[in-house]
Amino acid sequence: CHTSGMLTPNGKEYAQKIPREELTHLILKLLQAWKEPLSHFNQHIEHHQELPDDSLSKAKQISNMVHELKTGVEKVTEKARFSINSLNGMASSEAAGLSTSNEANMMSDSDFIHCFRRDSNKVQSYLKILKCRIMPENSC
Amino acid sequence: EEQVYECPDYRTAGPNSCYFDKKHTSFWTIYNITVKATNEMGSNVSDPHFVDVTYIVQPDPPVNVTLELKKPINRKPYLVLTWSPPPLADVRSGWLTLEYELQLKPEEGEEWETIFVGQQTQYKMFSLNPGKKYIVQIHCKPDHHGSWSEWSSEKYIQIPTDFRVKDMVVWIVVGVLSSLVCIIMSWTMVLKGYRMIAFILPPVPGPKIKGIDTHLLETGKSEELLSALGCHGFPPTSDCEELLIEYLEVEDREDQQHMPSHDNGHPSKNAKMIPNETDSDSGRGSCDSPSLLSEKCRETSTLPSTLQTKDVRDVHENKGGKRSWETQCIASEQKTVHFNNETTKSSTWPAAQLPNNQPPMFAYHSTVDAHKMTLSTTNVNTAPVLVGNEEKHQSQYPIIETVHNDMEKQRETENVHSKTDQTTVQVKQNRPNDKSPFLNPKLMDYVEVFKVRQDEEPAVLLKHKENSGKTEKYTVPGTSKEYTKVSTVVDRNIIVLMPDSRIQHTFLSQEPAMETSQNLQQGQAEKNMSYCLTVPSECKREVSGSEYMDPSSFMPSFK
Repeated sequence: CHTSGMLTPNGKEYAQKIPREELTHLILKLLQAWKEPLSHFNQHIEHHQELPDDSLSKAKQISNMVHELKTGVEKVTEKARFSINSLNGMASSEAAGLSTSNEANMMSDSDFIHCFRRDSNKVQSYLKILKCRIMPENSC
Repeated sequence: EEQVYECPDYRTAGPNSCYFDKKHTSFWTIYNITVKATNEMGSNVSDPHFVDVTYIVQPDPPVNVTLELKKPINRKPYLVLTWSPPPLADVRSGWLTLEYELQLKPEEGEEWETIFVGQQTQYKMFSLNPGKKYIVQIHCKPDHHGSWSEWSSEKYIQIPTDFRVKDMVVWIVVGVLSSLVCIIMSWTMVLKGYRMIAFILPPVPGPKIKGIDTHLLETGKSEELLSALGCHGFPPTSDCEELLIEYLEVEDREDQQHMPSHDNGHPSKNAKMIPNETDSDSGRGSCDSPSLLSEKCRETSTLPSTLQTKDVRDVHENKGGKRSWETQCIASEQKTVHFNNETTKSSTWPAAQLPNNQPPMFAYHSTVDAHKMTLSTTNVNTAPVLVGNEEKHQSQYPIIETVHNDMEKQRETENVHSKTDQTTVQVKQNRPNDKSPFLNPKLMDYVEVFKVRQDEEPAVLLKHKENSGKTEKYTVPGTSKEYTKVSTVVDRNIIVLMPDSRIQHTFLSQEPAMETSQNLQQGQAEKNMSYCLTVPSECKREVSGSEYMDPSSFMPSFK
């Protein structure tokens, strides 16, 4: 996966130790890293005739969801008044993301999907931890 | 960089297992696992199995499953289930989110009902049947990736049966009402069972034909019935036959035959009478002819009843002998049977005897006979006569005077006979004088005594020569109706005479014949033809208050 290079906590304990700003930053970085490859992927599979129609629409749907999720996290971060440094970190990661996108293009479709699944799971887990840290009353 | 780690633990998970605990694994990392088998021959490696631990999480089953039955007021009770996530699952930090699922079934049921609950840890159940026992169990799963946990231990709950006061009251009321209804029905059936049955299944009414008196049917007097129908002389009764036969046979033996047992003295009369009768009738057919036969028959038949009574009375008055006279149709002896067996052929010849003393009987007979005769007469007159109304009136019946003997003797001829036949009834009594009872102006319906007569002489009755004269007299009066015909003989000694067109007959009154008979007798032995027909007054006199008809009254006195 093109995002394998990122340092992300592999377990709950690690994720809980990281401060919230960093965790948020990490989430945003991940989401950002996948923006480009997803669009490429959609373009790629449109030309594939053998895929069922559901797959195409689903792929597009996922791309949109990722985008929206990124936007939402950014808003939460603004409200939480996280440091600007993380934002800067975002910019640099974007550059990194660009480079990685090339790698993503070279992956096979199955690997691509597999990597995406893992990263989305990470984002979900991080967000849940973040949620219970910020608002512990709901089902935490 | 790839690092190969050998299984740190081959035991914990059991045989042929390897346990990589948390330290050796981490999320979001794909591991390649292979199993290598080695024996003396060599070793071999299995296919690789890739796994990311993130996606194969199986939590422990939920714990602290509790079932609680809540019974709110005025509402059906419901069941509340609560449980707790497994202790090791870090749901609090949000790291692991679990979803739960229930399974429910009644104790006797076979299939589980699965209910997805979601992430909540409690559940309310409303649709449970009271009185049944239920089994519940729960399991969970990580929300996105993972597998279901094992089922929690089974929990039992008993739903209490619901006794509602309202339901019980309703059932009690229903039971009471139904029992009341049953009791009422049974009482009604017991008390008025017949009426109910009649109401539900109304009795089929028997046929009612006008003019037919069922009573008549029952008593079996066909003659009367038939006369009511207007059919005279049908069917020929045995009497008639007898009459006929006898009639034919005996010619002058009538006297003796008449009243064999007669009291002496009378026999002669009887004889006379008989011949008359026979003569007159002989020529005719049996009962067809309006002859006496039929009348006689009828009379005799009717007589018996009346006579019977008369007998009783007679006993008082006369004795014995008369009986014979009573019986029968004039025409034939047979009638005697009715009474005493003495057969006075001449049917009521009692008339004959009358002279002596049985006037009542005689009269009675005569009346009866006359009645019969009239009846027999073919004329089907409407004989309304009967009885009762005319009590006062004397109907004249054709007296069959034969009995009278004296009178009969005359026979006079056919006329007489015929008359007699018809009249048969000799009512001798009364008035020997001619009162022409026939003349009763008011005759109501009288029986026409002689049918035949009508043409010839109105005199219905006929008979004695003396009477014949009288008869003529009768006829003379002509205008008056002739009651020569005995339309019917009512049980009680009432002979109904039908008025003949020509002769007026008074209706027979029911008076004891006795007196009339007396009269008759007095009248004249021979002449008596007393048809007490039209002379109601006279007749009346004679008629005393007894119930019998007073033949005398009926009979016009023929002199």
